[in-house]
Amino acid sequence: MTENAAQNAEFHDLIIARGLRAPRSALWRAWSEPDLLKEWWCPKPWTTEVRAFDLQAGGAFHTFMQGPDGGTSDNPGCFLEVVPQARLVFTSMLTAGWRPAAPWLGFTAVITMSDEGAGSRYIARVMHPDQDTRERHEKMGFFDGWDSVITQLDDFASALR
Amino acid sequence: MANYSAALSEVFQALADPTRCAIVSALVSGAQTVSTLAEPFEMALPSFLKHLTVLERCGLIRTSKQGRTRTCELMPARLLQAEQWIAEQRAMWERRSDRMVDFVERLHQEEHTHDRKRSAKR
Repeated sequence: MTENAAQNAEFHDLIIARGLRAPRSALWRAWSEPDLLKEWWCPKPWTTEVRAFDLQAGGAFHTFMQGPDGGTSDNPGCFLEVVPQARLVFTSMLTAGWRPAAPWLGFTAVITMSDEGAGSRYIARVMHPDQDTRERHEKMGFFDGWDSVITQLDDFASALR
Repeated sequence: MANYSAALSEVFQALADPTRCAIVSALVSGAQTVSTLAEPFEMALPSFLKHLTVLERCGLIRTSKQGRTRTCELMPARLLQAEQWIAEQRAMWERRSDRMVDFVERLHQEEHTHDRKRSAKR
């Protein structure tokens, strides 16, 4: 990858970071125990059913979400990397046993957890495929509204605090 | 959580093709006749028309015929929906992270309180 492409990739990835008072161990529990994960995975009144949770590289990670109006969201996927209390990588582009899948617009998420002060730091990096498509979209102004959306969200989030 | 229909999937699939993406780019500046639009593309007209059909079917463009001339025009609403989807992906992950943080802080607090009560009993 050229330097420029790497920069673009970084620009387009969703990167979400949070500082927590809770330690890394608590963070890891929320992600690694399906009974806890389903408590926060989707917004209420939607509910999450963890259909498969095989916490190892190549193991199935399959969530099924259901809304009050009968809407559903089926999300099969698989874990790519599991480092307890440090790193969790999963994707929708593969299912159990690394079997290729074809979601209409897939993603890979890299979750990292580290110590920070007395608490911990959480970073989620969500990558979407087809950098070429994204670059073409960028050229035609597809992402013009992108920055303002992020800014608005930031403003909104800080207003909440 | 918006449940996106197959329609949006078609939009992304349509835009994933370089020719179709270029057609959409060309139409951003305004409506054009099919013959003007086709000119820069080194491709037989029937193949070009197939691309237009894909774009029209998913609602990204609209064509209309006046006499012997067919004109193409961009339908920005569809493009906006696709852009919105990406923005919503970010919003979804932001909110998910917020819920996760709230949950973890509460979990930690409860464990902490629980531990303190236990040691107080001893």
